[in-house]
Amino acid sequence: MSKVIQRFRALGSRRGSLLVLAVGLILGLAAFFSAGSFMVYANSEKFCATSCHEMSYLAVEHKGTIHDKNRTGVRATCNDCHVPHGYITNYLAKLNLFNDYWGHFVTHSIDTKEKFEAKRSELAVKVWVYMKQNDSRECRHCHTTAKMDAEKQTEKARARHEKLRTEGLTCIDCHFAIAHTEPNGPGPKELFATGPAKK
Amino acid sequence: MPKRLFAKVQRMVTGNSAIKVLLGGFAMGIIGMSLFGTSMIYTGTEQFCANNCHEMANNNTREFRDTIHDKNRTGVRATCADCHVPHAPVPLYVAKMGALNDLWSHHVTHSVDTPEKFDAQRPMMATRVWTYMKGNDSRECRFCHDESKMDPEKQSEMAKARHIKAKKERMTCIDCHYGIAHKVPEGPGPQEIEVDKAFISRSSIF
Repeated sequence: MSKVIQRFRALGSRRGSLLVLAVGLILGLAAFFSAGSFMVYANSEKFCATSCHEMSYLAVEHKGTIHDKNRTGVRATCNDCHVPHGYITNYLAKLNLFNDYWGHFVTHSIDTKEKFEAKRSELAVKVWVYMKQNDSRECRHCHTTAKMDAEKQTEKARARHEKLRTEGLTCIDCHFAIAHTEPNGPGPKELFATGPAKK
Repeated sequence: MPKRLFAKVQRMVTGNSAIKVLLGGFAMGIIGMSLFGTSMIYTGTEQFCANNCHEMANNNTREFRDTIHDKNRTGVRATCADCHVPHAPVPLYVAKMGALNDLWSHHVTHSVDTPEKFDAQRPMMATRVWTYMKGNDSRECRFCHDESKMDPEKQSEMAKARHIKAKKERMTCIDCHYGIAHKVPEGPGPQEIEVDKAFISRSSIF
């Protein structure tokens, strides 16, 4: 290591000093670029849905649902619903990957279909609580309520959307289990039945 | 000033601070890259594209209001950049260079600064966009609309039949779906345009 440092100092002759700065600059650019690219890659359907067999259960359920296949072919894949879209929140969520590594490599908590089914309700509740707390932020990243055309919705949907606005409900209160199998046990409505949600 | 700064950096490298210089460069690289990335994102937002100049705000933006890509059943939208700017990194940077063109005509030539001038240039500008989209097989449409994930069962009979025909005849999205977010100009539509690949702008090729 000291040899490397000595090398650096030797570079100090004339132009070398700027070379050190330039090398640092290039390393910085490369580091940020690869971190960003990793974020993009780690959000791709290819990575999320197929990298481990635990997720492949969920990927299979997603197939053919409205967020996978629909009239226009505009889709939402794993990260669109399950990873925050802001910078910092995204980085924090990525740190949770270590949790998944731990479960995958050490505790093997859901490595068989049976174990997965046993934990399904607990996992679903975790996601529902998360979505309820942030007012279905990830839903709203794509679905802009202000730009929904009530005229194009069914009578029933229109009435219910009207109702939810007055009752302070959020997307996930009704639109749950639309992309994955519904677990046994209480749904979001029962879980959060303790009065109107925060605005 | 630059000379003195240079001398200082030199002294730091020869002294005990070579690592500091390296780290300083590293930090500058990180900051530079994040500024660059942030500006790419910001200049792709609806807020920036649609309202920053009256050329866009008075024409394209108003026309876009309440079209299917602005307002629809589910509230899932496509704004300016989704249709008109490439999504991959390198083509995006190339396209952003093209924005210098816009600065030139906004500040120097004033080529579309009134609605009259805009309408006069509309066929030319529309043709340019159609040529671009035909040349890259409607790449920006397909960024959101995944053809293999369209459910024909949910489409109208007419749409279903036409999509089959379009595939057979090797047509692309823009051949039929034009004038859907902006006014249709006078003159030939996309189907009448012969695309000469030599004139497709560079950012559509990468």
